[in-house]
Amino acid sequence: MSGITSSTALWYASRATGIICLVLLTAVMVLGILVNRQGRLPGLPRFAVTGLHRNLSLLAVGFLAVHVATAIADPFVTIGLAAVVVPLASPYRSLWIGLGAVSLDLMLVLIVTSLARAHIGRRTWRGLHWLAYACWPVALAHSVGSSGDLRAGPLLALTAACTLAVAGALTWRIVRARRATPRARRVAVVLSAQAGAR
Amino acid sequence: MSRHADDTSRAVAERDRGHARLRAVTAAAGVASLVAAGAVGLALPGAQHAASAGTASASTAASAPASSGSTASTGASSSATNAAARKTAARSSGSLSKATSSPTASSGSGTVTSGGS
Repeated sequence: MSGITSSTALWYASRATGIICLVLLTAVMVLGILVNRQGRLPGLPRFAVTGLHRNLSLLAVGFLAVHVATAIADPFVTIGLAAVVVPLASPYRSLWIGLGAVSLDLMLVLIVTSLARAHIGRRTWRGLHWLAYACWPVALAHSVGSSGDLRAGPLLALTAACTLAVAGALTWRIVRARRATPRARRVAVVLSAQAGAR
Repeated sequence: MSRHADDTSRAVAERDRGHARLRAVTAAAGVASLVAAGAVGLALPGAQHAASAGTASASTAASAPASSGSTASTGASSSATNAAARKTAARSSGSLSKATSSPTASSGSGTVTSGGS
């Protein structure tokens, strides 16, 4: 039986949306790696994988907004507005909430630069997008450190599954990148293959 | 010429199908996320935790000099017990709750403290 009442609803909402946010961020991370190596999902064309990566990241931002808003609005929590974006500003569990602030800041950078990609140029966007590799582990550390929910039971298994998914995708990316022909030599390889075919 | 037009129309149809699938998958992910959030919220520990931790919290409060006295701890209203229990549960589960705040109803006499001599 749930203990959700009018006074605890915000508390439960914050915890639940935080967990869903972690799962969505994991999916976004895996899809991002897939997009980078021109990977495909069954039943979806390649451009749809990129679109799904973008849509899920916006969905994650929506859940993140609810997570943050409910955490601030919960009368039992003293986090404060500044602590949402300023690390270590929260009087409550300053380290773990601070990691959440760092993760939120990184995510804002990723989202804003992706939306303004046409204006900042592909090279700058790509350089800043590497921050995603810092954003996810920091978000995971915040999730595990600030809440005991993910440290036991089925949610511990969920956390492990998220970690394994990102680790697996990262390994796949590294292996594929090592096998791939470097961009500088790709033209020469294609031309010589065409010449051989003639 | 006609073949080129056929190829183009086929590519356009394929692209539209891709967009439709993307929309469907995104909508499904959104609905699934909302349902999952609700389910996780209902399944999260807290209530049972709080109920079992309530007694311990009250007794702890009774033994602490700064908290309510024995009268308050034994005759406290259910809301005060729930609030204290929630904070104790939050402390033990590490969830987002202010662990350091005192219970709202601390209206005891305050004359009885632990280890009274």
